[in-house]
Amino acid sequence: MASTANAKSMNRAATGQPTSVVASFIKRNVEVISISASIFVLAIIFSILNPRFASVENLENILNQAGLPLIIAVGATFVILIGSIDLSVEGVMSAAGMTFVLMTANSRGGTDYGFWAYVVAIGLAAALGFFSGVLFTKVKVPSFIVTLGMWYVGLGVATVLFGTDTMPFLTNDDLSTWASQQNLGMPNNFLLGLIVAILGALFLRFTSFGRVTLAVGNNEEIARGNGLKVNRNKVTVFVIAGAISGIAGIVATIQLGAVNPTIAAGNLFIALPAVVIGGTSLAGGKGSMLGTVLGVILLTTLTNGLTLADVSPNFKTAVSGGILILAIVITAWSQRDRLRISK
Amino acid sequence: MTPSTKSGVPVIALTNIEKSFGSNKAVKGISFSINPGEVVGLIGENGAGKSTLLKILTGMYQPDAGSIEVNGKVVKFKNPRDSISAGIGVVHQEQSLFTNLTVAENIAMNSGKGSSASTKFGIYRWSQIYQAAKVTLEAIGSKLDPKAVVNQLGFVDRQMVEIARAVSADAGADGSSLVILDEPTSVLEKHETEVLEKEIRKLKNFGAVIFVSHRLDEIMRNCERILVMRDGELVADRKTSEVTEKQLFKLMIGHDSRAEASSRKSIDSKETAAIEVNSLSRKGKFSNVSFSVHSGRLTAIVGATGSGREELARALFGAEKIDSGSVLLDGKQINNWRIPKAVKSGIGYVPSERKIEGIIGGFTASENLTLTHPGKSALGPFLIPRARKKIAQDWFNALDVRPNDISQELGRFSGGNQQKVVMAKWLNSPELRVLILDHPLRGLDPGAAETVNAEIKRACKEGAAVILLADTLEEALEMGDQVLVMRDGEVTSSYDLAKQNPSTLDLLERMV
Repeated sequence: MASTANAKSMNRAATGQPTSVVASFIKRNVEVISISASIFVLAIIFSILNPRFASVENLENILNQAGLPLIIAVGATFVILIGSIDLSVEGVMSAAGMTFVLMTANSRGGTDYGFWAYVVAIGLAAALGFFSGVLFTKVKVPSFIVTLGMWYVGLGVATVLFGTDTMPFLTNDDLSTWASQQNLGMPNNFLLGLIVAILGALFLRFTSFGRVTLAVGNNEEIARGNGLKVNRNKVTVFVIAGAISGIAGIVATIQLGAVNPTIAAGNLFIALPAVVIGGTSLAGGKGSMLGTVLGVILLTTLTNGLTLADVSPNFKTAVSGGILILAIVITAWSQRDRLRISK
Repeated sequence: MTPSTKSGVPVIALTNIEKSFGSNKAVKGISFSINPGEVVGLIGENGAGKSTLLKILTGMYQPDAGSIEVNGKVVKFKNPRDSISAGIGVVHQEQSLFTNLTVAENIAMNSGKGSSASTKFGIYRWSQIYQAAKVTLEAIGSKLDPKAVVNQLGFVDRQMVEIARAVSADAGADGSSLVILDEPTSVLEKHETEVLEKEIRKLKNFGAVIFVSHRLDEIMRNCERILVMRDGELVADRKTSEVTEKQLFKLMIGHDSRAEASSRKSIDSKETAAIEVNSLSRKGKFSNVSFSVHSGRLTAIVGATGSGREELARALFGAEKIDSGSVLLDGKQINNWRIPKAVKSGIGYVPSERKIEGIIGGFTASENLTLTHPGKSALGPFLIPRARKKIAQDWFNALDVRPNDISQELGRFSGGNQQKVVMAKWLNSPELRVLILDHPLRGLDPGAAETVNAEIKRACKEGAAVILLADTLEEALEMGDQVLVMRDGEVTSSYDLAKQNPSTLDLLERMV
């Protein structure tokens, strides 16, 4: 009796009519489709408001603006997938960026450590992520609080390294123009973001680490009961997020050609909502890198379009905040459940 | 998945296992052993220490004293991983699958050897994971698609995945596996249970089985030997052929069944109904529902999944919107029905999702109990802890809540005792007019169910009108004065049990 019932349900899934294949494709990819549609609609509206929006130059501009948030959002996706949050991004970026500039050729002089500048900067960022992860899992402080503290620790490290001297500029011209140069028809920084996102997607799909991340996000208790190493997974997630913030910090300094402790300010505001709009559940366990990429493009398009549409800068902040809330409400609408409580 | 090789050595042997929480001794010197191929039943009331014992076997708790041997070797489980790699697999009472992952992954996630064969340096080899899952599923006779995502499966199919995962815990070449079934049938419908029981009999081939259930008939049908726990002790270890259901009940509870035939009251037609429902409709949930319940009477509503009775019950409590129709309380029409208003008007609601909707797990039992109707324990906005403790203690004594500790967090009580507190929360209202019970016996053992049923009858006798969504048709017929049958959101028939005597078959015919 079991087998007939099971066979029936299998048939339903396997064969089905052609129409239901389309329907099930839409159902499975409803988020990706709806975000893509939103980007399309926004693009049309902004093009009508200002024809300059659709120019090749501006589209390149959008991708260039999306590069940095995209890198950050990939790290944030991992963290949100386990149901946690990483607020330390901006601080970690500052610390890593500052370390990087001071160890490479800059206007303050000093030694150019070349390759090692990258290693040390990203290593420092990963270490800060590691501390967040350990405090979070061992001392059991909520990730929200731990990473809020780590944000300021990162800023503090950057401030100390900055000292009282003048702002250090990158003196290597190849480096300071790298971000906006193009490869494969895309600005380098967006290309890097895309590579990080693809690696992230591969990690999620094809490694034990990725699958355990999804399992922990779905239900931590069950994960423990199944003998999975939950704490190790969580710490790894924070280390990866830290390292990615480090990469973002380096990219940020390269984009500016210089560094100061507040170099990363405002980045979190785009990256975190982009992840949620991309369909990653704040409760954990559900989400995709493709959604995150689209979420970042959507929000960047929005910011860019509002500027071109001549929205007064005085209103822009409030308007983008309002639109953000609206976008998240629409995204989360389908996940409402009478038994789910949000805090 | 290894066939038993050394038949002389028990798969598992416990010696004098003890475990305490604070001053509460949950498990007191338990010893038993189970041989390969045996199916052993484990029964006991809520709070008898079964769950604690199972958690020790699965590595969630570490025993204070005693030793565990698996296949002749002494083991110490520091965590669930150790237990799984010793070959102990569990099918949990509350399903414990990752709903966001595929069937195959859920089976592979049982750590240990099974999964390492299909990953290399942490890289997943999907084809092997699917293949391994297929082999395991076939071994237990299931044709589920390993690629299906669990949240798209029905309850029985999910249970099959749990079983597949449990048997995939592999003891290796030199021993047999142990599969623990922790009340796998407690939320299943009857025909689903039959399917599952067939599977349980097959599990013998994988080693030994411990089968935990509240349903004594089920235990008698499926097990060769039965272990009975009471108050943390093993009070009996009997061959099934040598005991009767009645004896088991007595061993579990410590006294005989108190079940008494309920006397049925006929309605005084002049009296106004405590609650009267006129053509109540909610789009897509229920439509045109009319009935009334008088004070002191119990109306049981039966219906299959999707009959709309749960939504109806929630709507009567103001927790769900009503599109049209009216509700009259004591003859007075009520508008803008919302939960706070319902509570104030003397309606009580015991939800089926006890852990999520019924209790605040982190609050103490006494706080939970006086949360809705504080009675004398509140003076305006101020709370009086001493009065609260007295009220809670009185209820604890009256309902025999165990452990008898009103200041323990309610989340730490067993299901049956939590339910008693939820009941008391509503019974504490002196103005209780209507009590709506959504599957009040779900997951309760016979002893706790008996107490809860007695309380329902007492509330009824004291003047409350009770609306009961029963788990089983037998329960509906035993408890009700009136039975309503619902199908696809409509009431298909109504029986006054004082005059009519429908069989379960009659009811079933109108349900489907």
